[in-house]
Amino acid sequence: MGEVIVITSGKGGVGKTTTTANLGTGIALQGKKVVLIDTDIGLRNLDVVMGLENRIVYDLVDVIEGQCRLKQALIKDKRFEGLYLLPAPQTRDKNAVAPHQMVDLCEELKKEYDYIIIDCPAGIEQGFKNAIAGADRAFVVTTPEVSAVRDADRIIGLLEANEIRNPQLIVNRVRPDMVKRGDMMSIEDIIDILAIGLIGVVPDDENIIISTNRGEPAVNDSKSIAGQAYRNITRRILGEDVPFINLNNSDGFLAKMKKLFGIKPA
Amino acid sequence: MENEKKGIVFKGNNEGLVIVIPDDYDFSKAKAEIEEKVQNAARFFRGAKIKVVYRGITLTPEEEDEIRNVLDEKSGAIIESLSKDDESKLNAFIAKRPKKVPVSSHKLFFSSDDAGPCKFVRSTVRSGTRIEFDGSVVVIGDVNPGGEIVASGNVIVLGALRGMVHAGSEGNRDSFIYALKLKPTQIRIAEAIARMPEGSDENKICPELARIKDGIIEVEQV
Ligand SMILES: Nc1ncnc2c1ncn2[C@@H]1O[C@H](COP(=O)(O)OP(=O)(O)OP(=O)(O)O)[C@@H](O)[C@H]1O
Ligand SMILES: [Mg+2]
Repeated sequence: MGEVIVITSGKGGVGKTTTTANLGTGIALQGKKVVLIDTDIGLRNLDVVMGLENRIVYDLVDVIEGQCRLKQALIKDKRFEGLYLLPAPQTRDKNAVAPHQMVDLCEELKKEYDYIIIDCPAGIEQGFKNAIAGADRAFVVTTPEVSAVRDADRIIGLLEANEIRNPQLIVNRVRPDMVKRGDMMSIEDIIDILAIGLIGVVPDDENIIISTNRGEPAVNDSKSIAGQAYRNITRRILGEDVPFINLNNSDGFLAKMKKLFGIKPA
Repeated sequence: MENEKKGIVFKGNNEGLVIVIPDDYDFSKAKAEIEEKVQNAARFFRGAKIKVVYRGITLTPEEEDEIRNVLDEKSGAIIESLSKDDESKLNAFIAKRPKKVPVSSHKLFFSSDDAGPCKFVRSTVRSGTRIEFDGSVVVIGDVNPGGEIVASGNVIVLGALRGMVHAGSEGNRDSFIYALKLKPTQIRIAEAIARMPEGSDENKICPELARIKDGIIEVEQV
């Protein structure tokens, strides 16, 4: 039986789609069967980030309305064994999908795939409700900005209200130099407010923009530091205990992170 | 305490002020004592709009006007109305305050004259959540930015208060706000509003109490 993970944020543009593409690819690279679902109806772009846009025939709403079989709509990623994408329609209304239909779809996919990763749209409306409906687990993505953290907090409250317990946090686009200068919220500050477990810290990395444009997730690029962060999150999802990357090359950060997670300094 | 002295008692209620005049007072004695009391408490009333009712002796319309003038002049408050409270309410008022208050064991919640019943919140009050309660609220957790608590009584946060809290929302100025870490976006007690000074971003736990003193919200470490 597979596991459904929804990638949410509240605030737009903080990296949900980037995270979905990289974690999905990362998990597939570990030999698991993965389906990525884009629930951002009308503003789909997971297919673009994955470089699979030109292969779309059917989409999520076609499956839900019974216009095609589930298998027909799943796009197989030829580069990564075991990776599939269920794209969002570009021209339909958000209300074309209801939460109970997403629950059914997730149940169906869980029978055959190890992980179903759902890219949630920004906001807290219908699209959000659909995206979380079938989820077993949620990751909340935020950037180290006050407004993004505020929205993440709202989302955590809504997830809890919807019985999705213990969401985990991904802090994206961290710039250690700015944190050091006191110009950016630190991971500690963010966790202090959100009070949830951390599953990953992803640095701000221009490789992400390059890889996004090419449609090749950075997780597969051994030279990308963001790619390394995504590989670490992947291993944590699979149950490994991976220490956090030392982003600013000083013991302070790592020691703090260890303290945060109760790991005794070596 | 005021009960023991057997003098005139001022009491706040939802709409304003209740003046309880002992039955054995005559008008001039009552007027003199009200004048004195109001003068002492003038800063307490400043700028407020209040309705006044009195209990105990019955005043003629002329006497009522005189009292109203005294209140108007001496309190600095805007007196919207002054009238006698009806007897049934008076009886209820007296009945509620027996000389010796027995400790009630049958009550499941904390209750006091001005703080009302108590609600416990056992989770973080996150952005977008608003908790309204007629009584006091105790949060076992944090109140985050964008979270709101509105209580007619006191608010106690056993965690960090970073959001908005309104204590004494029905006008009780004796209400207080207590937090283990007081870093709110804004706090309100009755009609008073306060923002916290910017900066001071220490992450230490430092319990603080906010309450009204001289008409403004004051914060002190406890
Ligand atoms: N770690 C990173 N370093 C640099 N750029 C990043 C990083 N993560 C995301 N970006 C860039 O930020 C932009 C927004 O990312 P993305 O589309 O993943 O966000 P989103 O949360 O899915 O947005 P939306 O709410 O619109 O769906 C993209 O241009 C992406 O390339
Ligand atoms: Mg997106």
